[in-house]
Amino acid sequence: KIQDGEGPEAPSCPFHCHCEEDGIFLTVDCSEIGLSSVPSNLSPFTTYLDLSMNNISEIQPRAFHHLHLLSELRISGNQLRYISGQALQGLHNLRVLMLQNNQLERLPDDAPWDLPNLLSLRLDANLLSDVPSEAFEGVRSLRHLWLDDNSLTEIPVMALDSLPSLQAMTLALNQITHIPDYAFANLSALVVLHLHNNHIQSMGSRCFEGLQSLETLDLNYNDLQEFPVAVRTLSKLQELGFHNNNIKAIPERAFVGNPQLQTIHFYENPIQFVGKSAFQFLPKLHTLSLNGATQIQEFPDLKGTTSLEILTLTRAGLSALPLDLCEQLPRLRVLELSHNQIEDLPSFYHCSALQEIGLQHNKIRRIESSTFQQLTSLKALDLSWNVLESIHPDAFVSLHSLIKLDLSENRLSSVPVAGLGGLTHLKLRGNTFLYEAFGPDHFPHMRVIEMPYAYQCCVYASCDSYKPAGSWDTEQSNAHEDLQKRTVAVYQIHADAQYDPYLEDFQLEIEESKLQSSVQCTPTPGPFRPCDSLLG
Amino acid sequence: KSISGVSSGCQQGGCLTCSDYNGCLSCKPRFFMHLKRIGMKQIGVCMTSCPPGFYGTRSPERNTCTKCRSECDSCFDKNFCTRCRAGFYLHLGKCQESCPDSMVHNDTQRECVLS
Repeated sequence: KIQDGEGPEAPSCPFHCHCEEDGIFLTVDCSEIGLSSVPSNLSPFTTYLDLSMNNISEIQPRAFHHLHLLSELRISGNQLRYISGQALQGLHNLRVLMLQNNQLERLPDDAPWDLPNLLSLRLDANLLSDVPSEAFEGVRSLRHLWLDDNSLTEIPVMALDSLPSLQAMTLALNQITHIPDYAFANLSALVVLHLHNNHIQSMGSRCFEGLQSLETLDLNYNDLQEFPVAVRTLSKLQELGFHNNNIKAIPERAFVGNPQLQTIHFYENPIQFVGKSAFQFLPKLHTLSLNGATQIQEFPDLKGTTSLEILTLTRAGLSALPLDLCEQLPRLRVLELSHNQIEDLPSFYHCSALQEIGLQHNKIRRIESSTFQQLTSLKALDLSWNVLESIHPDAFVSLHSLIKLDLSENRLSSVPVAGLGGLTHLKLRGNTFLYEAFGPDHFPHMRVIEMPYAYQCCVYASCDSYKPAGSWDTEQSNAHEDLQKRTVAVYQIHADAQYDPYLEDFQLEIEESKLQSSVQCTPTPGPFRPCDSLLG
Repeated sequence: KSISGVSSGCQQGGCLTCSDYNGCLSCKPRFFMHLKRIGMKQIGVCMTSCPPGFYGTRSPERNTCTKCRSECDSCFDKNFCTRCRAGFYLHLGKCQESCPDSMVHNDTQRECVLS
């Protein structure tokens, strides 16, 4: 039954509030009605009370003393600066307390809050600069604690000692600069810890001792100068983030203590060096991405990291790949190795799940028949910007799923088409010795093709539309003629009729649409790029 | 006004800029922006806590609400549930259809508890 605090028959629903009965219990919503204090006539059968988004700056002592059944209390979005222990007396069954978005400057230390069944406490978005040691002595059952977006300069180590049942905590968006040893020693049940957006520069090597249940650790957006070796004690860790820090090296055996790791985010660090054994024995890791680590000269040894699906290792100094790369990484789906110094390729034969390979901007000279053999799932292959001179005729025969092939900016004089029937995108631009015109019959599904020369695109469009009448053959076209004159030269049929520029535009569009509907081939043949190869 | 800590339209306490048609376009500092769906429309809402089924992430630039995993009614972040959907039971932040050995499920709290 729904009541509004207007009529006489609703004595238990405070004025202007919105109440709902559930049997004998009552949920009371007094949010955003301009209250300046806690309503006094609250029913003892209230189980849910929402006072958020009002102008309450103080809670009178014993305001909730009779609300023994209250399970959830929301006072977020008010102007509270301090809440004494007496203010929350009597809330024996409170499970959720929301105090976020107030102006709390300190927590009680002499007589802490006595909330024996509290599970979730939100103190985020306040003005707390420290947490007294005794602050949490009366909330020992707490599981979820929000202290993010405050002004803490230190980890509240002593206060946290009172919370053995804590499972999830955020201390993000504070001004913490250091994590001391044994900072979380009593938090054996903690599963999630967020410390992102602080100013953490250093950590004790034993600062995470005691966190044997921790699965998620977020250290993103800090000022860490060195790799956090303290993670070594986190045997249950599954997700680790330390992106946007100032770390320059990842040491040997960096994650030797974290066999459960599935995800590591560490982009936006000036990482120059990575220990060869850094990423060994991580059987659940599925993504590894390293960009710009210029001091990496050797491919990392990924022994025991058998579930890797995405490997990105770009802008490093790799000159070769291990011959047993695919034996180590049988589930690889995406291999991105662009911007290295790789010259020769092993056979990717055992990487049968590969779907994307990026090898652009390397120094690869040739492709053997075995290089990409049996990669039946490969969809995209980028070999642009290498020094390719030859590709074995059978190099692509088994690539049944390949739709995108980029060979631009190489030194090819021929390209084997066997196996490329499924291509929709082919790029050959920049291979200046490649004169062959590949007809549409080779590529029945082609949509976008880039060729070294315009005339190689004529097989994809009727060249007559670009073959001028007599006047074009005799007249040596001058690159500086105005558009009007050239248009007339090209469309001789309009020469004698009343020249209508709008009709002209309309016809040009028809010609272009005829081209677009089939294959988009560039460079597009045109007046200055005739269909006949100037080179004969 | 059906979600706690918020009112609809342009009079919301947490709104920084708004339009009558789209509700809040931006929020005051420290408020969470949530796009509430009403039929085909989406209304911007500024809140002190995200609605049930969503968790809040604070960052220096903005505070956003993101959907919890499907088996969670409420959650702390994408990896940690705080209350499960019917038919699932909570244990250490995970919502599972059955409880570990030596534990039984409590249907009222939808949690695994020691037997």
